[in-house]
Amino acid sequence: MAADEEADVFEITDFTTASEWERFISRLEEILHGWKLVNHPNRGPALKDVYTSGDWEEKSEDIFFADFKFTVTFIYLKVPESGGTDKKESQSPEQETEQDNADDESDGTLPTVFVDMMNMDNDFPFRAHCLCRWYGLQEFIVAAPASNSDVIENESRMKLLMSSISIALHNTECKVPLFVQFQQWWRKIYSGMCVMPDSTVEYEMVHLKKLPSQYNHLEGLLDIFKGKLGSTVSPRPPVSVSVRFTYVLQEWVNSPWPQSPPDFSSSLEGDVGCSDFRILPFGACEDPVSELHLSCTWPSLSEDMIVENQVYSDLDPLQAPQWTVRIQMTEDPQCLLGEYLKNCLQLCHRKETTDELLGCLFTEDSDNDQGADISQALQRLTQPSVSYNMPSLTTVMSQASSRLRIKAEEAPVPTELLNEILLYLFPDAKDSENTEKEGSKDEDSDELTEDEMRHQTYFKQLSKDLKSSPVNSVVHKLAVSLFTVNYHHGGLRAVAHLWQEFVLEMRYRLENNYFISGVENGQPNMGSCLLHQKLQMLNCCIERKIKREQLHKGYTGRRHSTDVTDLIPTDDNYIGCPEDVSMETDDAMNISVSETADNNESCENEHRASEQANMRLASNVDSSSEDEFFECAEENQSGRTEPVAGAEMVARSEMAGENTIVQSMSTSSLASNTSFKISGIPQHRPEGRLTPCGDLKLLRSGEQMYIPVTQEPSPMTEDMLDEQAEVLAKLGSSPEGTQLRAKMQSACLLSDMESFKAANPGCALEDFVRWYSPRDWIPNEGEEPDNEMPLPGEKGQLSQRMLIPGNMWVEVWQSAQAIPAHRQKRLFDDTKEAEKILHFLSAMKPGAVVLHLLPCLVHAAIIRVIENDDSDIPKLRMLLDQVIGKAAKVLRSPHQEIRRYEDLIKMISLAEVVIARAKSLKTKFTEELLDQPGAEEELNYFVSNLLQHPEVSIRGGPCGPAGSVIHKLFIAAQKSSYLVLDDETEENSGEAYRQSPTIPDFPNPSGREYILRTWVPRPAPYSKTLPHRMYCVLVDNDYRLAGAFSHDTIFQ
Amino acid sequence: MDDQDILTTLKILIIGESGVGKSSLLLRFTDDTFDPEQAATIGVDFKVKTLSLDGNRAKLAIWDTAGQERFRTLTPSYYRGAQGVILVYDVCSRGSFSKLDAWLNELETFSTKHDMIKMLVGNKIDKDKREVSKEDGLRFARKHHMLFIEASAKTKEGVQCSFEELVEKILQTPGLWETDRHGMTLGVDNADTARPSCGGYCSVV
Ligand SMILES: Nc1nc2c(ncn2[C@@H]2O[C@H](COP(=O)(O)OP(=O)(O)OP(=O)(O)O)[C@@H](O)[C@H]2O)c(=O)[nH]1
Ligand SMILES: [Mg+2]
Repeated sequence: MAADEEADVFEITDFTTASEWERFISRLEEILHGWKLVNHPNRGPALKDVYTSGDWEEKSEDIFFADFKFTVTFIYLKVPESGGTDKKESQSPEQETEQDNADDESDGTLPTVFVDMMNMDNDFPFRAHCLCRWYGLQEFIVAAPASNSDVIENESRMKLLMSSISIALHNTECKVPLFVQFQQWWRKIYSGMCVMPDSTVEYEMVHLKKLPSQYNHLEGLLDIFKGKLGSTVSPRPPVSVSVRFTYVLQEWVNSPWPQSPPDFSSSLEGDVGCSDFRILPFGACEDPVSELHLSCTWPSLSEDMIVENQVYSDLDPLQAPQWTVRIQMTEDPQCLLGEYLKNCLQLCHRKETTDELLGCLFTEDSDNDQGADISQALQRLTQPSVSYNMPSLTTVMSQASSRLRIKAEEAPVPTELLNEILLYLFPDAKDSENTEKEGSKDEDSDELTEDEMRHQTYFKQLSKDLKSSPVNSVVHKLAVSLFTVNYHHGGLRAVAHLWQEFVLEMRYRLENNYFISGVENGQPNMGSCLLHQKLQMLNCCIERKIKREQLHKGYTGRRHSTDVTDLIPTDDNYIGCPEDVSMETDDAMNISVSETADNNESCENEHRASEQANMRLASNVDSSSEDEFFECAEENQSGRTEPVAGAEMVARSEMAGENTIVQSMSTSSLASNTSFKISGIPQHRPEGRLTPCGDLKLLRSGEQMYIPVTQEPSPMTEDMLDEQAEVLAKLGSSPEGTQLRAKMQSACLLSDMESFKAANPGCALEDFVRWYSPRDWIPNEGEEPDNEMPLPGEKGQLSQRMLIPGNMWVEVWQSAQAIPAHRQKRLFDDTKEAEKILHFLSAMKPGAVVLHLLPCLVHAAIIRVIENDDSDIPKLRMLLDQVIGKAAKVLRSPHQEIRRYEDLIKMISLAEVVIARAKSLKTKFTEELLDQPGAEEELNYFVSNLLQHPEVSIRGGPCGPAGSVIHKLFIAAQKSSYLVLDDETEENSGEAYRQSPTIPDFPNPSGREYILRTWVPRPAPYSKTLPHRMYCVLVDNDYRLAGAFSHDTIFQ
Repeated sequence: MDDQDILTTLKILIIGESGVGKSSLLLRFTDDTFDPEQAATIGVDFKVKTLSLDGNRAKLAIWDTAGQERFRTLTPSYYRGAQGVILVYDVCSRGSFSKLDAWLNELETFSTKHDMIKMLVGNKIDKDKREVSKEDGLRFARKHHMLFIEASAKTKEGVQCSFEELVEKILQTPGLWETDRHGMTLGVDNADTARPSCGGYCSVV
């Protein structure tokens, strides 16, 4: 199209629409000015491969032609900051000569369009705007209908548009090519122009479904090109040719996708293979790699150096100087882990209760009174079992189902599997042999491979960062098996079933004093998830319960048993055991208390102790330090002389309890008998002593000061703590609030004061403070420490803040009575707490159970991902770090939002896909296919590149190690495809196969691209010599020729 | 009070040996008074104060803990979720300074936010018998990546400043207090899908 001429013609003929197109032109000019494309300086040649590696930018504006809306977009390659010097370096000598040709340009540099046309450094970008690919442009403008449904098909409208644009470009002297899109948007038909002061470039395009066979090769295309140039100059300069053929490999003969989905049911048959519910599944179900595209490129040939026509071709892929490979990934391949996770996440939305899910399964005779039901069952279970071991879980298990009263045949989780899972969760129920086996498994990990070391560091980081539960904990195991059960045994119903069994096991363990295995002892760890904390708490309760009952048992075995059982009012409200309360001291005072009292020994001790006690009535018995329990002298005769008012009943009842305390007392304790009474001070017998408090002596009596046995503080889970914090915070910022808060928290202080008073008869607040808050005791300065009897106490005074009349400390001290810890009201009511937890667990809806277990599931899933990462791809490493960071945040956030888990799980799935791809590629490019030994590294490098870059160029081309492997893959695929053909037409092809040499190594190229370039004067022989270019892409049923032809507008 | 323009609520923790003046510092900050008759704290105490910083208002929920050893078994559970912690020692007590390591240890064990901001405050600089030099304090703070200031609850020197500094630092660490700063960023494939319009290899099937 000669835009100029047509514009002229148009101006004359059509006045009616003049205002419309005039408006269009001025608006276009306005946009061009706005984008500062007027007097736009020439850009140098683009650097090699910068079209794919650099940044492209876009600017868009809307423009109307009458009521037809266009979007005008300026698309350009961002100029790198330090471009100046690099540009020169990158120029090939060839280009420089080309530039010399054109140096007669007025400003000395070639216009950008011409540079782009002839620049061979970005010939076949694998990812670029089509106009950039076809015309090699680094900047251009596109005007396309704003809506895909608007189409310009009408020839006269096209001309009208093009001439309007021509006018705008002329007026503004904008030298950026401008294109208009015609026809349906998906056909990508553009027509464009570039206007320079003395020349123009026209961009035209042919898009065909069929190309006549005489043009379907280089020779034919050269004919078209030369015909279009119509040059009569002779000798005509040769046309330079760049060619790229692309071959597609679809069949991976050597490595059919290996992964078979796990068959859960079959694995249960064997004893060994039933590990499936212990680990989350992993990997892709279909090959995540679908095709390989091999592009063979001949970068710049002269037309006379190469022949390709209907009968002959020089373009043998094995001769191509450049090979590049792209991998076509399967889109969104089905992957097991991702699938599992998504499936689980959906459960969180479910609102059904356990009853609704399992209700129908309970047998008819079920009386709905589960409590009674369970306790009956428990009686069955607690029938004296063999030795000290707990009843083997397998026997428990068969009864467990009956506990739930689910008809075995209708239970979502089959009994056998349920037993397996419960055994897995509670390995302590197994016989010792099995547990040993498990232990030895871990030891194998002594020699670690490099991969494993890397994984280990990840695992460590995970358990630190994630608020879940330790990997070998029962909660973690439960999460994994619960989700496997969900996937394979009926979804939420199975979850509900397994969960209820789990809760029953919890109750069973509580009632029978078995610790929950796989949960660390001690205070709930707030760095773990709530469910794990709850189980820790339950273990705390069990621990206290055991201690209480041990005491009780030890005691009832004795002669006063009947008495005491009658006398102890409510066992629950009183601490009956000194060990019970001794724990807290260990961090404060470095006394490690072995919690499990050796019953035999203690019995003996008790016995002797009581005898002794009977003999020596009013003696204070000191302790010997050899005792492995705790250094504590204990009085057991107090029942008779106990002066504390109102405590008589209790005191009596505790007599035997004290006897137990004396277990810790060495029988050889014959230490100093200090006078017990000091004149003037009312005395009672000391009780509940733990250990002497250094050499401190009581201020008034001069007696040795003792640290009392105290109550342990209550363990708390984070929800309890939140509740408490909320209550405390609600009291506000006022002094009264502070006062009240102190009061509310003084229970512990009171308890400690009472214990102290009991252990140190005749003590004063000053004494207490010296032990409890030494900084609030200010010794008198200057005075010689007077260590002599009868008043060996230090001289000094309480700190000012302790002296404030009516302060909490004084108040509490005054109200404190001398009661040893074991007779005080329990600070921690383990019975109540345990019940609360069991209620919490059993009342949870299965959907909520899943939500509570999600942290552990995420943890397990990330571990699975890391375990499977043996490829060490930097990109994957980055992704993993992101996943872990995200998970740490999501798991720690106080509000567990399912939406955030969705994001997280998407990322984990993505990591799974990346790993699956890596695995797939590794099996495809195996080292077995290598000819040269020692090239493994090169192949690995290639595979790793494939994973990280959209296109990888092969070092050494067809001759390099990777190239030869690819060659072999193609040969194999070719052979197999011919084989298939043989099978189909067996009769006549049997011998054809024998003549296998006729099978070409490569299939026909799926795509052929050619770029033809030349410099000739145009339109007339005396015109200036200008560059011309034609890009051709030939694909089956889609042939496109895109020409850019220049035109001297002065000498024409 | 209108809560609308409050940017965020921050949980701040005050820890340190007994008697170093934690409660006094807090009282100075919240009520601008000094009470020589401040009782020893039992368990934990709590105060709220709204602070305006560069036009942003942050609500501070400050938990004052008892320094007494015997209460320590309880108080660490309050460390949870704190964004900032003020670790106090008494410049006139070498002992309170030497215990700092133990406090940091405990913090490490019980706090749930690994990136919480820590500030070291040397209190009671109004008193004469100084046992810990400013350099010692500085050195310790540098070693443990903490903010540092010396203060006196009695003369109010440094008190307001310490809280403000801490809060400012927390606000500058957005991951610490914002709930969900930005959406997911996928590391892989992102670039591949970012290309507009006619991206991809569209000419060869
Ligand atoms: N001279 C002086 N005395 C102070 C200062 N700050 C606190 N005190 C005094 O030090 C004593 C202890 O102060 P508190 O604020 O109760 O100490 P605390 O750290 O809260 O102690 P606990 O609550 O036991 O952990 C009180 O008598 C205060 O009056 C100060 O800056 N200068
Ligand atoms: Mg205090």
